[in-house]
Amino acid sequence: MADSDKPRYSPSLMRMWRVYRTAKEMCMDRGYNILEEDTTITLEEFAGKFAREDGEPDRQRMPFSCEPSDEMLRKYSAPPTAKDPNPQPQIGQLWVEFNADENVGLKQLRDYMQHLSNHNFYSGIMVCIKPMTGMALRLLRGASGLDEGPKGGVEVFVEQDLLVNITKHELVPKHVLLSREEKAQLLERYRLKETQLPRIQVTDPVAKYLGLRRGQVVKIIRKSETAGRYASYRWAI
Amino acid sequence: MPPKSILKHSVVSTNAPPPSKPVSQRHLDVALQHANVLEQRKQVEKEVLQSIITLLDFPSSPDADPARPSASDALRFQDYMVPFQPSDYDSLIEERNISDRCGYALCPRPKRRAPSTAKKQIIETSNGVEIVDRKLLEVWCSDDCARRALYVKVQLNEEPAWMRQGGYGDKIELMVENPEEHHKALPLRLKREAPKKPVKQEEHDIADAWAARDDALADLAMERGEKPGRLSKANKDLITEKIKERVGTPQAPTPPTRTEGESHMAIEGHVPQSRDRPQQQNDEEDEDDAQDWDKHLPT
Ligand SMILES: [Zn+2]
Repeated sequence: MADSDKPRYSPSLMRMWRVYRTAKEMCMDRGYNILEEDTTITLEEFAGKFAREDGEPDRQRMPFSCEPSDEMLRKYSAPPTAKDPNPQPQIGQLWVEFNADENVGLKQLRDYMQHLSNHNFYSGIMVCIKPMTGMALRLLRGASGLDEGPKGGVEVFVEQDLLVNITKHELVPKHVLLSREEKAQLLERYRLKETQLPRIQVTDPVAKYLGLRRGQVVKIIRKSETAGRYASYRWAI
Repeated sequence: MPPKSILKHSVVSTNAPPPSKPVSQRHLDVALQHANVLEQRKQVEKEVLQSIITLLDFPSSPDADPARPSASDALRFQDYMVPFQPSDYDSLIEERNISDRCGYALCPRPKRRAPSTAKKQIIETSNGVEIVDRKLLEVWCSDDCARRALYVKVQLNEEPAWMRQGGYGDKIELMVENPEEHHKALPLRLKREAPKKPVKQEEHDIADAWAARDDALADLAMERGEKPGRLSKANKDLITEKIKERVGTPQAPTPPTRTEGESHMAIEGHVPQSRDRPQQQNDEEDEDDAQDWDKHLPT
């Protein structure tokens, strides 16, 4: 085979390339401002930017931040009221980091939270090689109740979760987050309480991909051969 | 064929008692108890987490000696351990190891480093040469710390703290070589000396009395078919529950009355009252394409 004329990359670098692209796509799908070219970065370009001399990916060079688009800011704002005509959006600058440690526990998670707070990030995504320890996950679950960490919380992904973009799978219907206003209109329209809607767990892979928070409502658009396109709504718990 | 009535028969049983309030109260009590257990569990889990975070930076002095801990470190460590289950203790060791520390919380030294990064390591022990996992080798700084740490673990209560009867339970003992420094304040395990329980006899008696009372009440509740643990409420329910009469319910059906002036609307003697039913209106309104109610919204 003509190995000599095309550069060869280590399996771990190729893996990391996929993870990086999915992470960028995920941020874009959530509504952050992401350059299109970041989501389509070629393996060669990726290697040029992030490969170490030994061919392994250098995760410490990969972190990035992104800002929510105007559309996203609108979605995460409460509808204006007379009392609060200019409600603050519940979203802000995001910091995405790829942890290089073999084992991630309380120490790394707390360092990460500290970093987010110190730099005034609204929220963070930490991508780890392996699942975090049970105690770190416990801290993550209860983080909003503690004084630690950023306002918008920290999400954790395992690299494995991002190897492929699950939302691009043909069997996964399109999920669209409703704004606070759209949610209110939906409930009013059907005279429903949110608790009457079918549910989606925030730990559901698609919910996780979109970063759904408890209480948000997502519209799921399916294609059906008989009914054409139809929508259903789910309440995140 | 005569037209069929479009009115639904309103089925009202004259036989069923009105909904019994005490039953739903009982459901509420059960739900409340579950909520309480859940809340206690959350509290304990948070407490354990906080303790582990604190113990990541233990002991307080970088030149502390795990065999001769300071009285205050020892006391705090023992306090923290009370709600711990063995699995929590494993988590503590795991977290300390990730921070590169010896698994024993009273030891300031880093964990041992295996000679190589191979998964299996060949080491020399008193039993000769053994092959062990690198992970196992890198938990403690020394065999001595391993012994002291495991001495704590075997004393921990397997039962989750939020399920334990009569509070959390006793303090654990430590293996130390400076018992004289701890003697006044602490129950410490001296080598070759029987451990002494610090609890005063009087406190024991009071606790026993309370336990006996609780047991008796629990037995009573079981006899009555009540859920244990909700004693006072359950008793009150039993006393206040009243027998509900089955006759004379206000919902008894009344024969249709023909109102003067509406007789021309009557079908089989009933006057349809659809216009008075607000529900009808809603149904009609919702018949338009319900799927895309939000198409007017910006997407
Ligand atoms: Zn040690």
